[in-house]
Amino acid sequence: MNAAADIIFSGVFQGSLYAVMAVGLSLVWTTTGVFNFAHGALIMLGAYVCWQLVDVGGFAWPLYLALPATMLIVAALGWALQRALVAPFIGHPNIVMIVVITTLAMGSLVENAGLAIWGPRPKQLPALASGTVDINGFNASANQIAIILATPVVLMAVWLLLNRTRLGLSLRAVAQNNDSSLLVGLRPSLLYGFAFMLAAALAALAGIFLGSFKFMSPAMGSEPLTKALVVVIFGGIGSVTGPIFAAYLIGLIEATSNYFLGLYWTPTLLFAILIATLVIRPEGLISIRQRGLS
Amino acid sequence: MKIYTTRWPWQKEALAIATAVVVLALLPLVVTDAYWRHILIMIFVYALVASSWDLTLGYGGIFNFGHLAFFGIGLYGYGVLTTVFGIWPWFAFALAALASCVAAALVSVPILRLKGIYIVLVTFGFSQLIMQIVLSQSQLTGGTQGMIRIPMLPVGGHNFVRDGRIGSYYMALALLLAGIAALRFYVRSRFGLSLVALKDTEEYATSRGISAAFQRVLALSFSALLAGFAGAFYGAYARTASVDVFGMSFATLILSMILLGGVGSTYGAVVAAFLLTVLSEFLHDAGAFRPMIIAILIIGVMLAFPGGLIGAGKAAIERIRRR
Repeated sequence: MNAAADIIFSGVFQGSLYAVMAVGLSLVWTTTGVFNFAHGALIMLGAYVCWQLVDVGGFAWPLYLALPATMLIVAALGWALQRALVAPFIGHPNIVMIVVITTLAMGSLVENAGLAIWGPRPKQLPALASGTVDINGFNASANQIAIILATPVVLMAVWLLLNRTRLGLSLRAVAQNNDSSLLVGLRPSLLYGFAFMLAAALAALAGIFLGSFKFMSPAMGSEPLTKALVVVIFGGIGSVTGPIFAAYLIGLIEATSNYFLGLYWTPTLLFAILIATLVIRPEGLISIRQRGLS
Repeated sequence: MKIYTTRWPWQKEALAIATAVVVLALLPLVVTDAYWRHILIMIFVYALVASSWDLTLGYGGIFNFGHLAFFGIGLYGYGVLTTVFGIWPWFAFALAALASCVAAALVSVPILRLKGIYIVLVTFGFSQLIMQIVLSQSQLTGGTQGMIRIPMLPVGGHNFVRDGRIGSYYMALALLLAGIAALRFYVRSRFGLSLVALKDTEEYATSRGISAAFQRVLALSFSALLAGFAGAFYGAYARTASVDVFGMSFATLILSMILLGGVGSTYGAVVAAFLLTVLSEFLHDAGAFRPMIIAILIIGVMLAFPGGLIGAGKAAIERIRRR
């Protein structure tokens, strides 16, 4: 009984983190058709900017103020990234390749700048909630429970934004058909920038989540980026909801495999499942036939 | 399609290669410093990895992101076969490259059914899978610690340690030349033309009787074979192996060589490998700022010349001709 509770709890917790990381990544892909390899660096930046705002040596802000401020700052950077790294190549035949290299280079730039500014010493953010909670004899950290509970709220907000607002409608329109959205008077370049902004804000949030329960380092973004990619592939890159389900599924698979097979074999198993999924269902496990947000 | 318009006759190309060979063969007379010879050896290895990757990425238009896994298989294959199984290094060298080739043929099975961005994802997943296998088999591969004391490739009792790296220099040069010659031969052959035709207009190419599946498997296996040789040579030269070869920063380095050189250009990748590595050496004093300067330069060059240096060069030649 305790083992099952353990597996489910850590699976749902990891799944929450993966969901927040992956949604931003797939949002950019579905709207703009490029992959943002600087996403991991934005996760790192979110954690460090927040640390700078919260730390007594920095601005000593309370966390509830620092968190939205960080998301705004990183979102602004996301906008700038799109203007500098993606917008100039729209219409170029090799845009997918070029954006891979420009975002990879930007990721390296941000990571090394982080190293130069904040140094290699590990830092930690304050927990979102302190102490432990006793659920029916199962001891869980309040911070992890806060993350588990906050994630669906955030994802719901993103879903509402995409599905219930005019802005979301325009984003989905641009994702589905660029030419027609131009005809009805939408401005794809603005909307692409907005998609990057939203994704960057989510990356910052993921970074703050990560920094609240484990040590931060300037290289902390690269492993989550890999995991987020797996989640996005697994869930199907044609939608935003697919990766959310995939995130929780992968979190649970990982927790189960960690328990029974051990830490070493879990990533191998995960990637083997991933490749098998792609061979059988290239469009992803939870898929929608066309490219579009939903 | 532009590849055909600037196609030189093979005699001219062979002459240009021969000139380059003579220059590079005489270079150690000028570059006597062992450290700079080491840099040149690394350039040769990088150039081979980048230009062989460009066969699938550039000429084939296949978004293959697992190329460095083939390099890694060559590296670890050589390391494990020589240190754990005690196989004769030259035989291990060939076997390791062959293993990369077989791995590529296997991974191309899912790739053939997919298109575009999905290929990025599968090949990326494949390279992560190989890394995880290397990490989890730590009794063979050393896991996160990596491998040390990998044997060198013996050449008739020559002492590679105390020769100022001259022996390794010529071996790396020979490997690069053989690789480039093979790549150019492939690209100029019917196979290479079919590969480019499939990239440009797949429907028309297949209706003309070109088998998309066969051509792509062949290109992937061939480029992986060269990457495997490069990896095995690197193992024999550096005598160490680590999982860094599967990491993002190595991938960024090699990818930036391909894109800076110009996608779909064997020589562009070689020139960019040279420029980027030498530049990185000159920036040695910049310390922590070195990767930042290089990242800014890569972005700057891509913004200025999206077609890479070769694209910029071709445009400049066209402009001069028109005058």
